[in-house]
Amino acid sequence: MLLAIDTSAGTSAAVLDGEKVLGFSLFEDPFGHAENIGLAIIEALNQAKISAVDVTAVAVGRGPAPYTGLRVGMATGTTFAMSLGMPLYGVMVLDAIALSQSSKKFYVVADAKRKELFLAAYELGVRTFGPEVIQPVELERFSDYESVALACDARLVGLYAQRALFEGTDLSDVSALYLRSPDVAPSPGKKVSG
Amino acid sequence: MISRRLTPADIAQVMALELELFNNDAWSERSMRAELGLAHSFYLGYFDQELLGYGGLSTIAGSFSSDIQTIGIALSERGKGLGKKLMLELLAHAKKQGSEQVMLEVRSDNPIAISLYESLGFLPVDVRKRYYQPDNVDALIMRLEIKQPIVLGVESTCDETGIGIVRGNRLLANALHSSMDEHAKYGGVVPEVAARAHLEALTPTLEKALSEAGITMKEVDAIAVANGPGLAGALMVGIGAAKGLALANNIPIYAVNHLVGHVGADVLERGYVELPTIALLVSGGHTSLLLVKDLLEDVELLGETIDDAAGEAFDKVARVLGLPYPGGPQIDKLATTGDPKAVRFPRGLSLPKDMEKNRYNFSFSGLKTAVARHVEKLEAAGEEYSKSDIAASFREAVVDVLLTKALNACEAYGVKRLLLGGGVTANSRLREVALERCNQAGIELRIPRFSLCTDNGAMIASLGAQLVMAQRPPSGLGFGAESTLEVTQVQTN
Repeated sequence: MLLAIDTSAGTSAAVLDGEKVLGFSLFEDPFGHAENIGLAIIEALNQAKISAVDVTAVAVGRGPAPYTGLRVGMATGTTFAMSLGMPLYGVMVLDAIALSQSSKKFYVVADAKRKELFLAAYELGVRTFGPEVIQPVELERFSDYESVALACDARLVGLYAQRALFEGTDLSDVSALYLRSPDVAPSPGKKVSG
Repeated sequence: MISRRLTPADIAQVMALELELFNNDAWSERSMRAELGLAHSFYLGYFDQELLGYGGLSTIAGSFSSDIQTIGIALSERGKGLGKKLMLELLAHAKKQGSEQVMLEVRSDNPIAISLYESLGFLPVDVRKRYYQPDNVDALIMRLEIKQPIVLGVESTCDETGIGIVRGNRLLANALHSSMDEHAKYGGVVPEVAARAHLEALTPTLEKALSEAGITMKEVDAIAVANGPGLAGALMVGIGAAKGLALANNIPIYAVNHLVGHVGADVLERGYVELPTIALLVSGGHTSLLLVKDLLEDVELLGETIDDAAGEAFDKVARVLGLPYPGGPQIDKLATTGDPKAVRFPRGLSLPKDMEKNRYNFSFSGLKTAVARHVEKLEAAGEEYSKSDIAASFREAVVDVLLTKALNACEAYGVKRLLLGGGVTANSRLREVALERCNQAGIELRIPRFSLCTDNGAMIASLGAQLVMAQRPPSGLGFGAESTLEVTQVQTN
């Protein structure tokens, strides 16, 4: 039984048995991740009529996504899996969104804040570009691609993880995909007054 | 029938019953009166107009052990369960105080009392031959083990990822991962850098804490997490982690106040925290002066910094003097060879006109600017100057204003105790002057060991354990990060 957690857009949790979704709870609020994460997991477990000890693995969306919210789900997934001694899998959320797409050539795009975009492009089911942070003008390069702008959620993360594990894809990287260095400039020197 | 705590004013009724029940073994009025008045004694009486039963418990602070001193039930009330009721209340009190065991002695020729104690879980551990004189009867020593809650605390309000584990009032583990080095090149804590570091540090810090405590997650009874005040992005990592732990292990979670946690740290140092106390919390993020009358019920903010925190001022002045981050230890070291009276830097908010609105507030921004101007002026004039003198004079100004206000608060509120907390307590001059001035003023100074003063998970676990021991309901799962959480809100529901 897989518990999937995603806070890349809203806050959501899902319970999957194979590719069958037994429970799913989503809070669409793009903030409130810390508030909602526990409630989402409880609801998903309740819908699936299982308790935490019945879970055998955890999958988390590892971005790219706005960092502050993303980290909440990753932190919860990390400690949940660790304290029950079960494996933790990381899912790149643009791949999770792409899985359900049927077009031959498309890109998945998401808001990266600061007027930038997270983007990954796919051809015939294979990722050919990204994930990267791009400027909106760079979308011109992908003018012959179909545009997919969907929010990821735990159901998609769970389905992707189950498929990937079945196919033997490595999901052991559970670090956050930031794609940008922290938002700072190093200390300018000693000027303090004024 | 009502029950209430007994005081020396109840002595006549207590002695009447004591003499009636125990004749040969009865306590003298003098020792009974003293017992009823002791701070570490807890005597409970059951009344129906007259006193029908009483019992006393003694708990030496910090001993983790309580003693049943006496228990007496009027003959008319025997066999109605009053003795058991009284014992249960005394045991609940012992547990709340952090005791890990309760001892008692009982006449070996009193099978009714012995069986009552056995029914409560007491086991015989020793016999004192002919203890009761002149009857020449043995005393049976019995012991009850009290299981105190194991609480795991998560701290992530700033740049330290802390996971601590306590059992009741006892420290089991205090694991810490600091991202301080990563902030060094920026000259201060960068929120996004801190938040990233928290996520990465979770697993190793958690593993370290569990191994230090020698327990598994299965043994943990509750989770506590600091949900504010602090950096929002950093707090959210700790909250997410704490909720994952609580959900996976199906145990309650308590969202607690980081600043009150600093006060609770002293519980781990000596098994209890003595109240009331004035608490001065000084770090890179806070400069707060609190009046704490009750750790869970009555914490009042007397004042705080209106601009920079004291630790931040150290960092900024260090930068002025060309010293690396973090500035506190650097300035402290440099200042040891300097003259603290070389430059008279301003003491913020210390003028008579400040006393009305800012009596207990702090301001370090002006001081920092004054140091910078002073140095810039000297440099512009091409004058040689002693960095040590400037460091010492700056340090003196900070320490002076911190302690003047803290001791003023002690005096104004009639509180004979001052507790220091926060990373700036590492400053040698702060400790030195605090000790000097507290000794002069007859004030007890408490400074927990440094690992409990700086941000840490153990103090969060400790405050959580206090809530569990006081049988407070846990927080719901829906709480979030509260960057500006008021110090009066000890727990968020």
